[in-house]
Amino acid sequence: MNLNIDAIKGQTFDAIVIGSGISGGWAAKELTEKGLKVAVLERGREIKHIEGYETANKNPWEFDHRGRPTNMAAEEYWAGMRTGYTANEEHRYLFENDKQNPYLEKRGGFDWTRAYHTGGKSLLWGRQTYRWNREDFLANEKEGVGTPWPIGYDDLAPWYSYVEKFAGISGQAEGLDVLPDSEFMPAMQMTAPETHFKNAVNKKLGRAVTVGRVAHLTNPGKQHTALGRSSCNYRNKCMRGCPYGAYFSSLSATLPAAMRTGRLTMVHNAIAAEIIYDEATQKAKGVRVIDQITNESKEYFAKIIFVNAGAIQSTSILMNSKSNRYQNGLGNDSDQLGRNIMDHHLGVGASATVEGFEKDYMFGNRPNGLYIPRFQNWGKDKRAYSRGFGYQGGASREGWGRGVGADGFGADFKESLTHPGQWTVGFGGFGEILPNPENRFVLSAQKDKWGLPVLEFSADFGQNELQMREDMMNEAATMLEAAGFKNINAYNKQDTHIGLGIHEMGTARMGTSVKNSIVNKHNQVHEVKNVFMTDGAAMASASCVNPSLTYMAMTARAADFAVNELKKKNL
Amino acid sequence: MKNVIKFVFRLILGDYLEQFNIKLMMKRRDAISQIALLLGGAFTAPTLMAMDVRKGNTSIVAADFSLTDAQRQIVSAVAEHIIPRTSTPGAIDAGVPAFIEMMLKDCYKKPEHNSFLKGVNDLAKANFLAQPAAGQVAMLTLLEANTKDLMKSYSQKKIKVGDNVDKDTLEGANGVPFWRLMKELTLLGYYTSEKGIEASFVYEPVPGKFELITDMKPTQKSFVY
Repeated sequence: MNLNIDAIKGQTFDAIVIGSGISGGWAAKELTEKGLKVAVLERGREIKHIEGYETANKNPWEFDHRGRPTNMAAEEYWAGMRTGYTANEEHRYLFENDKQNPYLEKRGGFDWTRAYHTGGKSLLWGRQTYRWNREDFLANEKEGVGTPWPIGYDDLAPWYSYVEKFAGISGQAEGLDVLPDSEFMPAMQMTAPETHFKNAVNKKLGRAVTVGRVAHLTNPGKQHTALGRSSCNYRNKCMRGCPYGAYFSSLSATLPAAMRTGRLTMVHNAIAAEIIYDEATQKAKGVRVIDQITNESKEYFAKIIFVNAGAIQSTSILMNSKSNRYQNGLGNDSDQLGRNIMDHHLGVGASATVEGFEKDYMFGNRPNGLYIPRFQNWGKDKRAYSRGFGYQGGASREGWGRGVGADGFGADFKESLTHPGQWTVGFGGFGEILPNPENRFVLSAQKDKWGLPVLEFSADFGQNELQMREDMMNEAATMLEAAGFKNINAYNKQDTHIGLGIHEMGTARMGTSVKNSIVNKHNQVHEVKNVFMTDGAAMASASCVNPSLTYMAMTARAADFAVNELKKKNL
Repeated sequence: MKNVIKFVFRLILGDYLEQFNIKLMMKRRDAISQIALLLGGAFTAPTLMAMDVRKGNTSIVAADFSLTDAQRQIVSAVAEHIIPRTSTPGAIDAGVPAFIEMMLKDCYKKPEHNSFLKGVNDLAKANFLAQPAAGQVAMLTLLEANTKDLMKSYSQKKIKVGDNVDKDTLEGANGVPFWRLMKELTLLGYYTSEKGIEASFVYEPVPGKFELITDMKPTQKSFVY
């Protein structure tokens, strides 16, 4: 008897955070810093900051296939292969084997990239960091698409500032309404052809071009160095894990901050199977996990639960949490759970060659490019489709790779490839995907190796996205032309699916009412008030900018609310 | 010279017939390329990737691939023609021939195995190794010109696939031609080898800064990271 009580004591906390990725790390940091004892349940293995980055300092020749995925890897990592880079030898250790973690695709297709380990996808993200603008929060309501956001820019603005200062964002203030400025560290430099492009596009087309805003330290302050973080070393090998802690990740920043409070307990290999609902209190009382190695079931208890497992996984945990009250998934009175999967559609843009600039070159490998903020359907601009897109890209000098498709071989050819080649430039679009209730996933009857339901996706692009893509291709070419670049090659890749952007959003959207949404304006499950969802799942629309910063701000805001509610004894 | 002409004739006619047969026998498959992010994604070597492997589709497991000693001699000789030993090491010094065979076995599938072997065998039939150096160069020059025509059926594009990530795609109906495979794998094997990098570039694995250079000299070697 005593044993049982002790066991429950050891597994009882003030708060549980499911997932240690970009939003889970923030939940852990905020809740522990506000005095709560927190358990983070991470489904994957433990990776230690720096020493766990096994490929970070490898030389090119130390990769057997010089980085390329083998046939075997291509089969094991079939979904990762669709991205073109996640299954290669540098990064594969941080991505999941798709064969061992199957999912089903019914209609369309869904490119699902998973990263089950400490820090989740925060180790692998593109670090591009942009605030949403005012209109992003208003568009649903104005257009009658999806459901209105119950929060606006002003609700998030102070939290954007708060998380930006801690994370460390490099970028250039531009004063644009369409792309609100963040709290910036010094911006990275543009190359000479990029500056030329920026000026030409601005002068001829009236469009803004700025250097990418990235979560890299360029001038670290005390709060960064105190966590062992230092400046970017311009290796651009970020996705292998950064030994300098220069880019923001849960491992480099939020988890160490939570750990130093002495109130964080990290639990690895703990797959959250379901949230345990207490019919009497109408609250959640804990989480049942399955140990991914031993398959043993175990329960953890807490007053509040933050679900930060990544949009799809967070929602699937709610779906799997069935009780008398919620037979169709926790908090799912609206039947919105699993619906409105969004992402950013990409694989469309243009590239070109640049004449001249022969004396321009650069030392260092900038882990960043240029950003062209949305200009469509903005101000007086009107398009046949709704919403819009931004571009990412940049210019660089060709390396030896240019020799592959070029004529020639032999001594002169060999020597010529040791020098920088001509400048090339390219931009690819990131387009907003509209919420569509038919783009969804459900729990299938098939079970995975832990006995949990395999997810079945049914999602495809709609007319608005397809129409936008044509424009994304053409406008990219127009801008390269405006800059006088040559050999313009515009493309619109057809075999892409939702998910390829690895910006999965929606499936447990925020809204005004329990009738049309899963969480309220505080990211609280409407009628299970001690459960919070603050990752991509809560998004009611997608904007066209990279989403991680918004998850961070939302998480910090929700954690603040949750702790205040706890103090008021409302939870 | 007679051999060279016969060789070219066989090359053109042979490829035409082969393409025709393959078109009859096989459905068109979409070949997608993969990225070589090795040097940071600033550029990538275009390469043919495995087919889009959907779950349940495991029928395309790679066939075994190996070369005979005679074929290896040809591959070594061709690789050394592409990257010869000069004042710096050449392809053979950097272990490129064995690298090519390993890459074909591990990273490519039947269509490329076939096109590669066909290319090697065509050279064998044309007595490539028995030619004087100038004759070998002439053969490879013609082979390159012919390959350019074959490559016209491939579309090659640089595509943005994610934050800060580009990839080159090479899409076509048949196995990538022998010469193109030879050249790509020779350059990849050489310019990413320790000897090749040391001999060719300024290797800066930890640059520590990002600085613009505005007065670059023509003798400037590429920085690799």
